[in-house]
Amino acid sequence: MIRSLYILGQQSNVIYSKEYAKSESGEGLVEFLVNFAHFISSVDLEGKTEYMGFSGTRIFYAARRDFVFMFVADKADDTAQIEERMTQLVDAFIKDFATLAEANLPLEGLDAKVDEIAVTMVKVAILGYAGVGKTTTLHLLRGETLPLVHDPTIGVSIKKLPDEVQNANIVLWDLAGQSRFSILWAKMIANAQVVIIVTDSTLENVLRSKKLVSLVKEEVPEAKVIGIANKQDLPTALTPERVGQILGIATYELVAIDISYRDRLIQIIRKAILEGKGEAKPVPA
Amino acid sequence: MPQAIFVVHLDDYQGFVVEKRHPFSFSLNEKILNLIFYEHEKEEKENLRYSEIDNVRIVSFVDRARPRWMACFVLTADEDYEGLKEEIPGMGRLIIELMVENPELVHLDEILESHSSLGEASEEQRYAQIFLTPSSGLVLEKIENEGVERAAKLSIWLKSQVQSDSVDLRESILPLMDSGIVNVEIIGKGIEAVFLVKDVFAYRAPPVEAITKARKSMPGLAAQYQQRVAEFFAPPPPSRGYNPTIPSDDPNSPLVEDREKIARVLSKKIEYKVLTSLRDEPLSVREISNRTLLQEEIVQNALFSLESENVAAQIGEGIWALVTNPIMESFIPEFVLPLIADKLSNDEITPEIARRHLEILAEKWSGEQ
Ligand SMILES: Nc1nc2c(ncn2[C@@H]2O[C@H](COP(=O)(O)OP(=O)(O)O)[C@@H](O)[C@H]2O)c(=O)[nH]1
Ligand SMILES: [Mg+2]
Repeated sequence: MIRSLYILGQQSNVIYSKEYAKSESGEGLVEFLVNFAHFISSVDLEGKTEYMGFSGTRIFYAARRDFVFMFVADKADDTAQIEERMTQLVDAFIKDFATLAEANLPLEGLDAKVDEIAVTMVKVAILGYAGVGKTTTLHLLRGETLPLVHDPTIGVSIKKLPDEVQNANIVLWDLAGQSRFSILWAKMIANAQVVIIVTDSTLENVLRSKKLVSLVKEEVPEAKVIGIANKQDLPTALTPERVGQILGIATYELVAIDISYRDRLIQIIRKAILEGKGEAKPVPA
Repeated sequence: MPQAIFVVHLDDYQGFVVEKRHPFSFSLNEKILNLIFYEHEKEEKENLRYSEIDNVRIVSFVDRARPRWMACFVLTADEDYEGLKEEIPGMGRLIIELMVENPELVHLDEILESHSSLGEASEEQRYAQIFLTPSSGLVLEKIENEGVERAAKLSIWLKSQVQSDSVDLRESILPLMDSGIVNVEIIGKGIEAVFLVKDVFAYRAPPVEAITKARKSMPGLAAQYQQRVAEFFAPPPPSRGYNPTIPSDDPNSPLVEDREKIARVLSKKIEYKVLTSLRDEPLSVREISNRTLLQEEIVQNALFSLESENVAAQIGEGIWALVTNPIMESFIPEFVLPLIADKLSNDEITPEIARRHLEILAEKWSGEQ
C-alpha cells in the first residue's frame, strides 16, 4: 500500500505530505527523502517513475518541472499499479496545483485529490461482544458459506473483501469479542477508516455496546462509525431505530445468516468509506 | 538451539505479518500469532514468554520500546526452556532493533549461529533517554533549580511550559526515575515530592585510553591517530575546539547542542555496542565483529553511522578508532544543599521533606565516595 506521500518544491522543501500508515523506516525517512529529492531534481528522469528500496520499504519517485513526487510503499506492492498512480498524481498536480504552489498560494482541493489517487487500502474494523455475529458478518461480506456453529475468534482475523472502492482494497478486521480480548481492541482499531459495531439487537447487549462506541470515538475519532442491529430474524430483536437511538450512531438492520442481505450491507460499507474519507481531513504539512 | 525463528510485526492494515523467518519452510497460523501477542499484551512489563500452542513450543520476546514487534523462537521437543532464558532476550533485542533500523541486515541463520545479541540498556543509555524526551529535559532543568518540588506544582508548571494540558508529568518523569536521577516519594500526609538525587553531564571526552593503547600496539598509526583527535579538541586558531569545561550558559559552549546528539548516539543500541568496543583501543571491522559477535556487515554499518556523528573514524587501512568518546556521567548535586536550607527557612518545605532529602542523598552517595 502507499503509506505516505510527499511533494517537494524547488528548494527540496516539503510543500505537501500525507501519511496514511506508519512505515517502520522511522524518523530518518523524511530527512532521507529531502536529501534524495535534491539529488533527483539534478538527474533527468525523462518523465518516468522510478523506485528504490529503502529500509524495508520501497520509494517511488518522479520529477516534473521543479517538483519532486515521492511515495513510500511496501516492497510487496505491484510496481506497475503504483507507477500508474504516480502518473495520475503528477498529471493532476501539474494541471491544477503547480502554478498555485509556485506562487506560494494555498493548495485547496489537493488533499481530496490525493486521497482519490493514493488511498490503496481501507481498513474496516468489526467490533462487538462475543456471539453477536461479527464473524458471520465477515463471511457474509466475503460471500462465503456461513458456518452456523459459533467458533469464537481468537485475537483478530483479517480478511480482504473481494470488492473495491475507488480502486482501494478493503481489509476487514474481525476482532474477538470475548471480554478477555478487550485489551487488544484499542490497538487493533488503529488507523481504521470505518468501524462497524455489531450488536445482536437484545437490550442487554445494545446497552453494553455503548461502551464500544465511546472506545472507538476516543481511539479513532476520525473514523466513520456505524451500528449493526443483527439477528433481526429473532422475535425478540429490538428494531434498528431503537438500537441506533441507544448507541447514538447510524444503525442498520441485518440478518447475517441470510445471504440476501449481502449487497445491502456492502452498499452501506461503501457509503461509510466514502463519507469517512470526506470527513477525515488531516492538515497538510 | 531453537529449530526456527520468526519475526512478526503487527501492521495496522495487514495485521500480523511474518517479516522474516528461518528456516523458510517453517510456518505458523494466525491463531498462534494472535495468542502469543495477546499473552504479551496482558502483562505489559513481561518481555519473555514461553507458550505451548497446538503442540508447538514457542519462546517469544517483545521489547517495550518497539511495541508492535515480536521475535519468536520455536523450540524442539526436548529443548530446555530454562537453559535458553538467558540468551533469547539478547537475540530478540538485536533482531527487532535491526528489523526497525536496517532490515536488509537481518540474517536470522547467522544471528542464531553466532549467538549475536544486544544487552539491556546500560546506565548511560538510560540517561540518554532523558534528553530524547523533550519534556523530561525540561523537568530535569526545573528540578536542578528547585532541588525538591511537589509533584502537583511541577505538573502545573510543566503544563504551562509546554502550553498543553495533555502533557503528563508521570511520563516526563519516568526516564528520570528509571535512571535514578530523581526519587518520587509520598511524605507525611499525602504530599508527593520529587527529589533530585543525582545530576547528569553529557560530553565528548578525548579517547585517552584508546590512544595510550594504540601507542603500544600500533606505533605506526598512533601519531596520526593522536593528530586526528587533536584536530577535534584543540585545532590551531582561529578555529575553536571542543571544550566541555566552558559553562553551558556561555553561547560558545558546545554542550547544549551536542547533548542531544550524544544522547542519540548512545541510545542507538547497535552503534552503542560497537562504540563500547572501541573505547579500549582501535580495531578492525573483523576484530570488532569478533568481540561483539555482530556480523561484519552490521559493524560496518554502525561505523559509518558513528563516523557521521564525529565519533569514529578510520585512522589507517581498515582500522577504526574513536575520535571522540561520548559520555554521560552522573555526579553528586552538592548545589542542592543550600537550596534545601533556603526552602526550609522560607517555609517552602516541611522539616520532614528536608530531612528526607538529606537522607536520600546520603543513602545514594555515601557508599560511592
Ligand atoms: N439467528 C441468527 N443467528 C445468527 C445471526 N448472525 C449470527 N448468528 C449466529 O450467532 C452465532 C455467533 O456468531 P459469530 O459470527 O461466530 O459471532 P462473533 O463472536 O460475533 O464472531 C453463530 O452461531 C451464528 O450462526 C443472525 O442474524 N441470526
Ligand atoms: Mg468471531
